[in-house]
Amino acid sequence: MPLVQLEGVSKIYRVGDQEIRALDTVDLVIETGEFVSIIGPSGSGKSTLMHLLGCLDAPTSGRMQICGNDLSSASQNRLADVRNREIGFVFQAFNLLAKLDVVGNIELPLVYSGMRAAERRRRAEKVARDVGLGDRMANRPVQLSGGQCQRVAIGRALVNDPRIIFADEPTGNLDSATGEMILQMFRDLNASGKTVVLVTHDPDIAAVSRRVIEIRDGKIRREYCP
Amino acid sequence: MNVLVALQIGLREIAAHKFRSFLSMLGIVLGVASLISTIALTTGIERGTRAFMQQVGGLEYVNVVNKEISTKMFEFWNLSPGRTLHDAQVIAASAPLISHISPELAVGAAISSGSHADRRQVRGIFPDHFVVSRHELLAGRFLTDLDVERGLRSAVVGDEIVRLLWPELRPPAVVGKTLLINDRPFEVVGVLPKYERDEDRRRRALDSGNRSIRRSGRRWDPFRQKNESVLIPYSTMFFDFRAGQFPLDSMESVRLDALTLRVGDLDRFRPALDQVRAALDLTHRGVDDFDLDTREEWFDRMESSIRATKLSGGLIATISLVVGGIGIMNIMLASISERVREIGIRLAVGARGRDIFVQILVESISIAFIGGLLGVAAAFGLIEILKLIAPSENVPVMTTGGIVFSVCFAVLAGLLSGIYPALRASRLNPIAALRYE
Repeated sequence: MPLVQLEGVSKIYRVGDQEIRALDTVDLVIETGEFVSIIGPSGSGKSTLMHLLGCLDAPTSGRMQICGNDLSSASQNRLADVRNREIGFVFQAFNLLAKLDVVGNIELPLVYSGMRAAERRRRAEKVARDVGLGDRMANRPVQLSGGQCQRVAIGRALVNDPRIIFADEPTGNLDSATGEMILQMFRDLNASGKTVVLVTHDPDIAAVSRRVIEIRDGKIRREYCP
Repeated sequence: MNVLVALQIGLREIAAHKFRSFLSMLGIVLGVASLISTIALTTGIERGTRAFMQQVGGLEYVNVVNKEISTKMFEFWNLSPGRTLHDAQVIAASAPLISHISPELAVGAAISSGSHADRRQVRGIFPDHFVVSRHELLAGRFLTDLDVERGLRSAVVGDEIVRLLWPELRPPAVVGKTLLINDRPFEVVGVLPKYERDEDRRRRALDSGNRSIRRSGRRWDPFRQKNESVLIPYSTMFFDFRAGQFPLDSMESVRLDALTLRVGDLDRFRPALDQVRAALDLTHRGVDDFDLDTREEWFDRMESSIRATKLSGGLIATISLVVGGIGIMNIMLASISERVREIGIRLAVGARGRDIFVQILVESISIAFIGGLLGVAAAFGLIEILKLIAPSENVPVMTTGGIVFSVCFAVLAGLLSGIYPALRASRLNPIAALRYE
């Protein structure tokens, strides 16, 4: 069974009495170990697709299966559990909690999976070292550079050992050299067996992946291998 | 996520915004402080009143009083011998629910210590009198059956009498002195303590610095009669002062000046009164010339005024706690709209709505609980101030029950006021929350 499988998935938003078809009968299959980029201009529906794939939202119609879970009409709690166990997120704006230090941010998903405090800390510290922040564990996000913040976010995405990692414009807030380093991290992750889905508007960045899906007006326009 | 983690997050949140948290606690602090103080005040009043009730004889005290006979019965008036020692003997024999009986004779007499003299009421009593009127003893002994049996000239005197006749002596030293009653010498065998209400005692303690003329003279003092007691044996009273007023009077048939009783078991108060009534109907030959005067109504009034005080005080304090709860809700709502993004992040990494709900609720309860504890501290201070500015009132009494109740009430206010903000926070859409600026 593929890791991700979408069949005729649509997402319709209602604004007043107007229907906005953000995604229109999309079919998509992602296999384990793939490195996929989703590109498209703003308003194309790529964010909506990403939210569906990331279990932040449920589709209006169509069948959706992620990591063996049929999520076609799942409850919010069900989605939360899948997010917690199977999925790691990396955002453009890092989305770290300013009140927590590096380890505190990294261990956040474990808090909600009900792990004991000592075990949580041990695992978060190990991940912090893995992403190259071993000497920064007690720092708060404001004391870190943008690249370091994104490493914390990657660490947070990895700490629950998910099968799939979503990155939404992960280099958008970084200078090109740092961005290149972050992209290299994703490549390394993919090489170590993780499935990576990268969302971007920039075809050059999408070129790091092995499969590019271009979205426009809520439909998959074309797919190619760079 | 367990509650412990939520507590940790909540406490960190409170610590991160100390001033804001304090402001939101303030209502709870004041509410708890006023609730505890109110409970302490009313408890003080209650205790003072109850102690007072006990000192004036308690609910068990029953007074057999004379009653005007109705005009229809007037011709039979002479049939009744009135209240006599015989009544007391019959009650003792036929009313087992009455534990103590105190018949009294009284006479106005000149009393003197040799150097000081005055006219006062002297009362002839039986030893039961000390139980019925709840006398305590400062020094010496009470009158005994032997005193009555032998008609001894022994006397027990109250505090006012000691001050009047032996102003230079300390009350205990009066035991053994000679008291002249209508020029007959009596030996003082016992001295009673000074009976006073709690508030008078406190006022006296306060005034002791400047021993001025401020006596509580004019005010109604329920203990005046007890403090002015000059008590001698019933038999001595009869033979020395009452015999011969009416030639046919005997110790048994002379009309009493007072007849008071003590009910043994309050649970059987009514049956006890019925027994007394039956006995007296017999001795008074059916003439309806007596009545049983009890403290029930009087005490009921006191009890209901205590209840009213409690209720109104509690109500005001409760309102202030509710206001405190609204304060918490206000701050929690402001706090979650400030933390929408944080909540979005937590949702994105796998928090369920329930986790967010618990987190906000625990935070709200923590604020209320900490506020409640501060309120307890404030209440201690408040009560000290109350003691200073209102010394004549009954001492406020802090009870553990009152403190626990108030804190629990504060926690309840925190819980209730946290539910709505927690519900709102837990229903946030993760995508919208993440995009929120």
